[in-house]
Amino acid sequence: MCGIAGIFFKNAETNANLGRALVDMLDGCQHRGLDSTGFALYENTFKGLRLRFIVDDDSEATVARVKTALAQQGAALLSEKREGASFVVEVEYSGEIRPFAYAMEHAAKLVSIGSSLDIIKDVGTAHDLDGVYGIRSIAGSHGVGHVRLATESEVKPEAAHPFWATGFSDVAIVHNGQITNYWKMRRRLEARGFEFRTDNDSELIAVYLAEKLAQGETLEQALEQSVDDLDGVFSFLVSTKDGIGFAKDRLAAKPMVMFENDDLVAIASEEVSLNRLFPGRPLSTTEPAPGTFRTWSH
Amino acid sequence: MVTLDLAQISVRDANTAMRAAAAQGEDIELVNPDARHHLGVGLVAPVKVTIRGSAGYFCAGLSHGARFEIDSNVGWGVGDSLYDGSVVVGGNASAIAGVALRGGEVVVKGNIGSRAGQVMKAGTLLCCGNASFLAGYMMYGGRIILLGDSGERVGEDMSGGAIYVGGRVQSLGADAKLAEITPEEYADIYAFLAKYGIAFEGGLQKIVNAGSKLRYGVNEPVSRPLSYTVAEEGTYWNAKVAEDIHAKALIGRYRIRGYGAAKAAPHFNDIALKIDPERIHAASDALATVNLKTTLGDRNGAKPLELSMPVLIAPMSYGALSKSTKIALARASKLAGVVENTGEGGMLPEQRAEAGQLIYQCLSGRLGWNIHDMLKADGLEIYISQGAKPGLGGQLMAKKVTKELAAVRGIPEGIDLRSPSRHPDIMGADDLVIKVEEFREATGYAKPISIKMGAGRVRDDIKIAYKDGFDFVQLDGMQGSTGAASTEVLENMGIPTLAAIQEALEGLREIDAGDDMPIVLMGGVKDGVDAVKALALGASAVAMGTAALIAGGCISCMQCHVGNCVVGIATQDPEHEERYKIDVQAKAIARYLEAVRWQIATLTKALGHSDFRQLSRADLVALTPEAAAITGLPYDPDYHPVEHVLTEVA
Repeated sequence: MCGIAGIFFKNAETNANLGRALVDMLDGCQHRGLDSTGFALYENTFKGLRLRFIVDDDSEATVARVKTALAQQGAALLSEKREGASFVVEVEYSGEIRPFAYAMEHAAKLVSIGSSLDIIKDVGTAHDLDGVYGIRSIAGSHGVGHVRLATESEVKPEAAHPFWATGFSDVAIVHNGQITNYWKMRRRLEARGFEFRTDNDSELIAVYLAEKLAQGETLEQALEQSVDDLDGVFSFLVSTKDGIGFAKDRLAAKPMVMFENDDLVAIASEEVSLNRLFPGRPLSTTEPAPGTFRTWSH
Repeated sequence: MVTLDLAQISVRDANTAMRAAAAQGEDIELVNPDARHHLGVGLVAPVKVTIRGSAGYFCAGLSHGARFEIDSNVGWGVGDSLYDGSVVVGGNASAIAGVALRGGEVVVKGNIGSRAGQVMKAGTLLCCGNASFLAGYMMYGGRIILLGDSGERVGEDMSGGAIYVGGRVQSLGADAKLAEITPEEYADIYAFLAKYGIAFEGGLQKIVNAGSKLRYGVNEPVSRPLSYTVAEEGTYWNAKVAEDIHAKALIGRYRIRGYGAAKAAPHFNDIALKIDPERIHAASDALATVNLKTTLGDRNGAKPLELSMPVLIAPMSYGALSKSTKIALARASKLAGVVENTGEGGMLPEQRAEAGQLIYQCLSGRLGWNIHDMLKADGLEIYISQGAKPGLGGQLMAKKVTKELAAVRGIPEGIDLRSPSRHPDIMGADDLVIKVEEFREATGYAKPISIKMGAGRVRDDIKIAYKDGFDFVQLDGMQGSTGAASTEVLENMGIPTLAAIQEALEGLREIDAGDDMPIVLMGGVKDGVDAVKALALGASAVAMGTAALIAGGCISCMQCHVGNCVVGIATQDPEHEERYKIDVQAKAIARYLEAVRWQIATLTKALGHSDFRQLSRADLVALTPEAAAITGLPYDPDYHPVEHVLTEVA
């Protein structure tokens, strides 16, 4: 039960606007969910791989566990910092991502691993997060974001969106809706060795896409199948290292509006979010048709 | 003309300023709207409103008489429940354009989203472009003109009205069919298009209701069923089970009846008050000394409902019940200083006049729902579901849709009336919060807004109610009654009232909500003893429906669902209704409510309290292991029901 937003810059000159654009878009639809907010941002400044963890109250112990686990996995620590509810490291690592991710998830609550992706999520509003994490000043080529009204799972940073497609560097999703064949799909994926960290149905979409990508399918193929495989009402955005995409269920019960010009593609739950990018200017927007999907990439 | 800049002021301030300007007869221009929601909501004045840009959800909703022009796009629900007036959209309209139109004209120059004109009742919705799927879904009347393509399943489950399509009819919805267009209709449509300067001279296809649903092959036998209110002793294959099998063997489908769940499930009888009977005798002056006054609904600064005791009349519609019964309930509620509720069927002028305080209910079909009655109400309520049949919409057969009833509900007379199982604009908690805000904007944030929910997934639902800012919750367990539902649903869906309150309170505790959102518990609350138990469990008040009907003459004849109520309560037949004496029954209901008041006061005092708010779980025990498991109360079968002691004292 939420609002979603995504932006894709076609020209690198406007990349400096990424954080500000997503903060404004999410602020525009913040009424759809006041519990928590999150961003998946694609930057180009990482030295190696960036890992972000949610730290518990006993943060020193968590940080120590993370460092031990990194050493065990053969990941060399390049930098580290505490930021809000999270602990962020950049590491040199060249092995397989999925076993690495599962090993790190056992050490602490892992949010994301990416060579350009950073997922920042916490309880509070878009402006609250901006105050703690300095979102507005983050530059990048594209990103997605989410405001959440928690209905079935708890209000805590790790239950916020976006969800990382665990094991797949740089893939994230944000979702508005409800997947009603959640347990059936989850059991199927668990039988194939995929692990779940929450009971949130949005995590399922991330893992579902990860499984398709693991089989060598393209993102377009994965999105096309998701419309058939996932049951329920949903509008979701997916982001990868190269771009963003959406999929929308056949009932079209969850809103999605998009705007595209020569410079950018912007997608959001409501037009009011898109209009925050162009104050005072009526936009020529479109609504994706029910049961469709699309991607944009650089 | 007054110009308002939404880059400078909030929507709430803009709507207030619009109302003030319109009262002076001033036209209004809104600049920098930037797709904000609720623009012009609730405006009742014949002025022109120009919106220089795009508007968000519910633009011009719940308005009457104004002429809106929007330069660009609009979001969900443009012209929602428009009473009269016009709305012209220069760009595209999102989902449910013209939802629940009660009159007036909505013109969209571009395309429209899905479910356009859902549950509309009158007026005209015109789209110059293409429509998405389910245009005219469950419409009751009026006309939709689509100059482009129809979208899939056009006219799905429409009951009345007509849809005209200039482009391709992509597919017909269930129970819809093509029909001939008369020259007069063509002339009328072309004149309408000319009025808005739209050049179109092509042919049209007309779609109307096919009338193939809502017809059963074989009717249920006209025998009087064994009463569900009498406990059935004896074997597993008892007379009631046999009767049910015989009936189904004849009709080959589910059966329908009134009243609530009859199967045994833990209920108020299965918990007891930890009370010393002697103290009841000593509490005979309780009415004078125990505080029963309470308020409901000021959590967000609205003017609260003031109750002389923590009791409300449960929501029951004019339609399920006769007009005479609704008047008697309203009169009795005023005599007792409690709150009456319209239920689904709209607000009767007589009911408004007779009730001291009245909650006005908004359901999925938006039957009777309009801005004028919203402004007359003391509280507004969004119905999501009810304990007797959670998740299902209502049905009213054509013979019950009388001229007067149709007028109150805003629908054509004599149609087979179906209500959708869900609201057109509430698909989740995120949409619901926008809907609640619409009602607040339309009524100046002055009225409490409550939510009525049947007991299903209460633990989750109550959190949504809290986060979406409702002022209070009316929570209805599976023992709640209805005028008509299938027996399978009545007996097997939902959770018991005792479990419902328990889950609700636990859910609120899980999100640290404190106790600032009151819960009104209903579903089989039959007297003041049950009320005290509910209050001690944590409810802030109770609502009584069936008990009030029985007090006012219901003899459980089990004819509610066919409308042949012999005492004139659950019927629209004038001959039957004539048997109902409003004044006699109003007084009887009021006397019963006084008995309830006496019971609540006496038991509260006997438990050692001077205010019903001091009642707590410490005052309760469970008499059965099942009730103990549900409520978490200590199992102590040595306590006895107190009803017989109350009788002696009385």
